[in-house]
Amino acid sequence: MIASPQTTAPAAGSPPVSPEAGLTYRPNVDIADCGDSLVLIADIPGSSAEAIDVRFEDGVLSIDAAVLPRPAAGTTVRREYGIGGYRRSFQLGDGFDGGQIEAGYQHGVLTVRIPRLAAVQPRTIPVKAS
Amino acid sequence: MSLIPFRTKRSLGMEPPSFSSSSLTDFRNEMNRLFEGFFSRPAVAPGWFDTIEPGRWLPAIDMAETDETIRIRAELPGINPDDVDVSVSEDRLVISGEKKTEAESSGNGWTHRESHFGGFSRAVPLPETVDPSQVSAHYDKGVLTVNLTKSPASTSRKVPVITAG
Repeated sequence: MIASPQTTAPAAGSPPVSPEAGLTYRPNVDIADCGDSLVLIADIPGSSAEAIDVRFEDGVLSIDAAVLPRPAAGTTVRREYGIGGYRRSFQLGDGFDGGQIEAGYQHGVLTVRIPRLAAVQPRTIPVKAS
Repeated sequence: MSLIPFRTKRSLGMEPPSFSSSSLTDFRNEMNRLFEGFFSRPAVAPGWFDTIEPGRWLPAIDMAETDETIRIRAELPGINPDDVDVSVSEDRLVISGEKKTEAESSGNGWTHRESHFGGFSRAVPLPETVDPSQVSAHYDKGVLTVNLTKSPASTSRKVPVITAG
């Protein structure tokens, strides 16, 4: 029943619903520890890869995302969520390689992989029998 | 004006409450948690006639209408469009499906979780009857949009008032 993803053009005569000025939401985030890296998964529906800014500075990872205007369709009858940007930051500290961070956006979810520096990765030291 | 002699609580035999740095930190963390919870997106959206079964969650929706159409949107980030079902009767729309957990959980495990996983279902009573044969739905960037067309019988009509004489 669900059609393939597509961008809907605003209907003629109905202006798009712009994100509300100044409103910023805190996205829900899951964090997984994969040993050699941390993976951070943030729910950011309605945005795009170009509109998301991921920064790593002084041990702080920050996410700043704008959402795209959505086509309007008449009078609003019910509204359970607002439309605005998303912002959140995490104090990760040293020990992560800021130059190797990768980020991807699909189905409204931002995934950021933050590798640990090789020097601080947990290592298993084999014990030799004499 | 009278002068009240200054007495410390200690001189009155009362010990000031002791705050260790850890209890202050706990208090601050708890307040941060409450504030963040209050201002974050609603975890469970209140529905009109929805009931939440254990282990399931309710997606938030918005609804807008014109004289001929009804449009419903739901924020469903991280869901495979194939895992979403939309069914329509004359006066009710049901959005249901399942959000599967990410593959990253196979590493050392989750250290922090905030998003919803598992089955979800949302039944939305429609303000007017619709034509079940004229429904379209698409999923883009985590947002599901369902467009419905009102039944001709239910679309509002302007009734001319005839004056006698």
